[in-house]
Amino acid sequence: MERSSVRRIVISGALGAVSAVMAVTPLGYLPWFGGASLTIMHIPVIIAAVLEGPVAGTAVGLVFGVTSLVKAATAPIGPLDPLFANPLVSVLPRLAIGFMAWGAFRLFRGKMLPLAAGVAGAVGSITNTVLVLLALGLTASEQMSGAFGVQTGALPAALASIALSNGLVEAAAAAVFTSSIVGAWKGLENARGRAKLSGEGN
Amino acid sequence: MKGLEFWKHVSIGRYVEADTPVHRLTPAAKYLWLLALMLSASMSGSALVICISAILPLFFARLARVRILFLLRGFLPVLPFMGLAAVFQVLFSWPADRSTVLLDLGPVSLSAREAVAVVLMALRFVAIMSTIGLFTSVTSEGDTARGVEDIFAPLARVGFPARGFALMIAVAFRFIPIIAGEFESVVKAQAARGADFGAGARGPLRKARAYLPLIVPVTIRALERAEALAEAMEARCYGAGPATRYVDTTGGSADMVVRVAAILYALGIFIVPVLLAS
Repeated sequence: MERSSVRRIVISGALGAVSAVMAVTPLGYLPWFGGASLTIMHIPVIIAAVLEGPVAGTAVGLVFGVTSLVKAATAPIGPLDPLFANPLVSVLPRLAIGFMAWGAFRLFRGKMLPLAAGVAGAVGSITNTVLVLLALGLTASEQMSGAFGVQTGALPAALASIALSNGLVEAAAAAVFTSSIVGAWKGLENARGRAKLSGEGN
Repeated sequence: MKGLEFWKHVSIGRYVEADTPVHRLTPAAKYLWLLALMLSASMSGSALVICISAILPLFFARLARVRILFLLRGFLPVLPFMGLAAVFQVLFSWPADRSTVLLDLGPVSLSAREAVAVVLMALRFVAIMSTIGLFTSVTSEGDTARGVEDIFAPLARVGFPARGFALMIAVAFRFIPIIAGEFESVVKAQAARGADFGAGARGPLRKARAYLPLIVPVTIRALERAEALAEAMEARCYGAGPATRYVDTTGGSADMVVRVAAILYALGIFIVPVLLAS
């Protein structure tokens, strides 16, 4: 079936809702070693970009960014939450996730689909980590150094160590999740293409 | 099982129905003020502007009969963080800081400049928090989506899909409770099969792996629902011609004044400090 704009809009809306639910509940975080947690809330953004293109990815990224902004401003829990009450940190970097993930997916699209989706997941996740940390470093260096207990001069090193330690694991997690979801969805779509009537009962 | 009801304890933005001048504004006017206040609170470097943008939302909250404490209740969990930041401001002095020293305790001292930095940081946060809190308590879900279309209406003339964007936000709002319910039932189903999402004694790797059979089905179900909705809308010819609107959000002349005031405010906060300085 050809992709209509209604379909694209509605699918973006649904993925935006998944991302919003993850952003406001503990479901957006994977528990990880040493009490740290990995974020997986940006995965719906990547999936939207892979399935429906860069515009849908950016739109879902906007929903995700605005949700995290609203959450940071109305119900902050972590010590870094107040810093996310700044649209430059919470919204702007998230707009780029969809675009980068879509670009990565396009580069590898001819090859195996799960692999391409996995690469898109990793690239989208790295985009998120790098841009958010960059935005934090640029907009809130004084507060950040307070939160981490380092002097402002040592902040780039502290941010880089976060990017390496958490960011790479997050990228791996995003790759696994994206490729499983896209693989499962494409599998369902193909199965339905073969037997259109069988899928209509549910 | 207490931790499984994710949705119950979440409160981001609660719409409080009331009939006040603020509630009666069109969504577009509310959006313009939201953007203007956010812009002034997050971008401006002037202390006066930050003070104004922290006080204005509280003044609007009075007009809207929204309890100010309700808007500021999110500030409590942030206080320790603010305190920590303040301590660091005091411990490390700014290079070339020549402002008056307010408090001198041997090696550490609190200068006026450091005190101002801490207070401004707190005010900035109060401003953004109360602005967003107020917006969500005076704007219903439907208006949030309609307002997006109105705000982007000028861009729609040059091809920006304002209508589609508003529809997407409306769909997202509609899907949020469905997805939350879906998460709940999948978590419960997996827990019944022995999956561990709580504070079990197992290793983090196993816990992280337990999320895969949770996220994948929920996302797939969301995509399936979205397809069904899209097909139903297409079957009713959505998108085949110009769509009409059930709710009128044009607004009267008073509303137009409020919108213009928001734009003037946003321009003013950047122009006035420059004029004062020169």
